[in-house]
Amino acid sequence: MNDWQKKSPLDWETYVNKLVKVIAVEKLQYEGWVLTVDPVSASIVLATFPENEKASISFIMGHAVQEVEILQEGDSHMKQRLARIFAPEESQAYSS
Amino acid sequence: HFPELQAARAALRERFLRLLSSARGRPARFWLWSGIAVDAEFGAADAEPVAFQVDSLRTPLGVQGAALLRCGDVLAFSIPLE
Repeated sequence: MNDWQKKSPLDWETYVNKLVKVIAVEKLQYEGWVLTVDPVSASIVLATFPENEKASISFIMGHAVQEVEILQEGDSHMKQRLARIFAPEESQAYSS
Repeated sequence: HFPELQAARAALRERFLRLLSSARGRPARFWLWSGIAVDAEFGAADAEPVAFQVDSLRTPLGVQGAALLRCGDVLAFSIPLE
């Protein structure tokens, strides 16, 4: 079990809504906004919004995570944008 | 800290399960060991998760209609947001 998998849910919760860089095994690197960390598998889920490409969600398996570095805190606008991923129907109702 | 711990655990887990269920039916790219990436349509995951069920798995030997990918063999996977 790696150090990331040994963390407590209270530790993982501090990463939610923050921009992070995840370094995984085999030199894989991911950068994105943390949507959640699965407390069972320690898998980290990131949302990425590249400027000229489609937005995507990446799941990095807990066993593959080596290092997670916080790059930026999310402002209220980003938090709302991330929250909409969980409740797309509600946000559509709000905007109409 | 037990109630706080349980609340954090439950909130994180619920979000994870919602994201997994939203992945259903979407095109996914899986990164495996040794730099291998394969494309498939995401189907479902079991509770642990131990395995992912996928459809139309494109392998160098052809397309598998349905397949199971062991989580231990998967390093990461991505799906488009919309």
